[in-house]
Amino acid sequence: VSTVNRAEVSAGAAAAAEGWQPQIVALVCNWCSYAGADMAGTTRLQYPPAVRMVRFPCTGRMHPLMVLKAFEGGADGVLVSGCHPGDCHYVHGNLVARRRFAIFRALMDFLGLDMRRLHFSWVSAAEGQKWARVVLEVTEAVRAAGPLPERGYSEHGADVDLPAAQDDGPPQVSDEALTALRSHLRRAAASALEDGRAMAVLGLGRSSRGRPHAPLVVTNAVDCQQLEWGVGWGGSPASYLAAAAREHGRVAVVARACELGGVIGLAREGQVARDRLVIIGVQCLGASDGDRLADRCARCSGAPDGSCDVVVTPAGAVAGTGSPGEAERRPGDPRDRQIAYLESLPHAQRWGFWQRQLARCLRCYACRAVCPLCYCSSCVAEKHRPQWVSTAIDSRGNTAWNVIRALHLAGRCSGCDECTRACPADIRLDLLNRKLTQEVEERYGQIGLSLEERSALVDFRMEDGEEFIR
Amino acid sequence: MRSWRITDAELRQWLQRLIDGAGTVIAPASDDGLLVYRPISSADEAVVEASGITRWSAKERLLPRTETLYAYTASGNEVTVASPPTEPSPQVLFGVPSCDAAGLLRLDDVLLSGIEDPFYAARRRATTVVSIACAEAAPECFCTAVGGSPAGVAGVDVRLAPLGEGWLVEPLTERGGELVAAAGVAGWQEATAEDRTKVVEMEHRVASSIGREPVPPEWAELLEAGFDHQVWERIGWYCLGCSVCASVCPSCSCFDMHHEADVFGGEELRTWDACTFALFTRHASGHNPRSTQAQRFRQRLLHKLAFRRSDEPVRCVGCGRCVALCPAGLDIHSEVVAAAAAIAEEVSNGTG
Repeated sequence: VSTVNRAEVSAGAAAAAEGWQPQIVALVCNWCSYAGADMAGTTRLQYPPAVRMVRFPCTGRMHPLMVLKAFEGGADGVLVSGCHPGDCHYVHGNLVARRRFAIFRALMDFLGLDMRRLHFSWVSAAEGQKWARVVLEVTEAVRAAGPLPERGYSEHGADVDLPAAQDDGPPQVSDEALTALRSHLRRAAASALEDGRAMAVLGLGRSSRGRPHAPLVVTNAVDCQQLEWGVGWGGSPASYLAAAAREHGRVAVVARACELGGVIGLAREGQVARDRLVIIGVQCLGASDGDRLADRCARCSGAPDGSCDVVVTPAGAVAGTGSPGEAERRPGDPRDRQIAYLESLPHAQRWGFWQRQLARCLRCYACRAVCPLCYCSSCVAEKHRPQWVSTAIDSRGNTAWNVIRALHLAGRCSGCDECTRACPADIRLDLLNRKLTQEVEERYGQIGLSLEERSALVDFRMEDGEEFIR
Repeated sequence: MRSWRITDAELRQWLQRLIDGAGTVIAPASDDGLLVYRPISSADEAVVEASGITRWSAKERLLPRTETLYAYTASGNEVTVASPPTEPSPQVLFGVPSCDAAGLLRLDDVLLSGIEDPFYAARRRATTVVSIACAEAAPECFCTAVGGSPAGVAGVDVRLAPLGEGWLVEPLTERGGELVAAAGVAGWQEATAEDRTKVVEMEHRVASSIGREPVPPEWAELLEAGFDHQVWERIGWYCLGCSVCASVCPSCSCFDMHHEADVFGGEELRTWDACTFALFTRHASGHNPRSTQAQRFRQRLLHKLAFRRSDEPVRCVGCGRCVALCPAGLDIHSEVVAAAAAIAEEVSNGTG
């Protein structure tokens, strides 16, 4: 079925590829780089005319979506430029931007964008010479990279063969342990309701024929008998926590180890009050993904963290220690091998792999709906004044949506993989999340469970790495 | 009409001839491991099986996820408008289960009745449907509960049915007859009454294996009568407000219109939308007549299984995809049974 689109209407423009000249969009801050470019002009320095500048108050105001928009609009390359650290007119806007763009760059690199297209620089108001040099270098890099490749489903990338995930069969569980956990969990939940620490308990239970246990909300002690525990993976109670807290005030939530980060994140970000929240951490016996152990379980012992209010193990339910422990991190997550493999491929092949994945996106927003930390009442995907993410369910909007979803979770994602489970198109969102977690932890330290911690991308240090900035 | 008994090899041969002929053949095929309907360029790509179901329906081949209604470029005072072609090339939907074929009729109800949608209508007229009767039901299947059958012929031009070894080929419409005549028949063996009996037996066996309680047409009034019943709040509370159900549904047809433009030109687009999204009904004033997620869930369930004229079938065709894929574990069939029971109980207690 053929349809027209604007690209075809303006086919004439594309046909002029022979005489192709790179088109570069530069996002510059008003106080340094814009003034630096001005200096280059008044000094009568010559540099290639391929750059179109967009002036912002500060690099801190520049959003990755603006870079994506430039690429969507046909730019072959983008340059982001602002004040040197310490020179920011707004004290530390550029330091926050530095972290944001370090992570954004890592994501775009992972998605297969040729890194000769995306550049960052610090150019002060006095550095006219540097501005001219940066523009020259960037222009040559983009020229070497050539015209921007097409977005959308491509034959390129069809041959990407990810290393197989582990397949040791489903988690093995003793009935005895399961029965004990269930009974301790039910008692702990009932007691939270009875003594008024919670008006509702969010757990697992409800399921239709043959389906794994799905989230269940219970508001009286008797119904706590319906709470279940097992290896089935049919949803996360944490997905409902923000809504339940608004509705019931005091809520108890049953959490696996991988879901705790989402629960703590909601408290940390002011969506639920920690002192009106009872976290019941239950020993996880592993989650099954179809007929095998879920990937995320490979590196996790499943033991509830001490920061839970109630810790349920087969031995019983006890009060938590009140402080987060050092999570045990075991090696062997099969995604790490898959990520390393993808990173070993040339950019074009990686781009093809991800464009094939993203072409399947139906924009059902199930990834957003299940994510405990996607709680905004109005999502950027739905803003249309201006519209940053096209609502068209094709390459226009699909890349931008999936990029921005992953970025908004960078440094916050707890790796519960709910988004990946929920995706009807089997898009490997877990690889994107895991890659960003690796990147954040490598650069800015381990993402922990403390309430006081600030998410990496709203924080900064003067000494943060900037090896990618000219 | 005549019917044939053909071998696997003959089936592949026929499929290959269809591909080689004019037009596009859409069949279940693997897309990096995910089974979806997609255009195939060789018969070997198609997954022609009498069990298993594609991740989502074939509706996007008639009602694309996003389509351009018109596009224009602007240069100075010159505006050039381009309309999409209204004569799409012929396509064959090959190997769809009966539920998906029935889903196309539900789309027709909306998009061809009254004011015809020209884009949909043109594609629909160019589409021929070859179904495969199911030899097995998935745990989520419930076509029999909504008036369908695992070997149903509604919306089907040619039906294929597995005979253990080989296939029964039955053209059911004139167009189906042409499709068979154009690319097959020569050397095919005529089917026997026995072959046909075998398929009827299979249909009964598969239908009885489904075992989901029927959703009788009378429930429509009951469910509507219980529109304000609290059961909707209890069930719908779990709806997370995504649109997995509507996106994978063979009969959901709602769309939104939007305009995307810059100084060089623009496009008028229409894109799938879903009643489970809060934005679906939110007014410009901010008022939303379906203000809670439970209300939005109720809307979808009732639109699938209740809202209808008395002479119409329900809109749900029982493919079970939304049951299998709902991230909240909601099961439209179990939920409607639960809702009907709760409402009926209140009615009989005289409290409704």
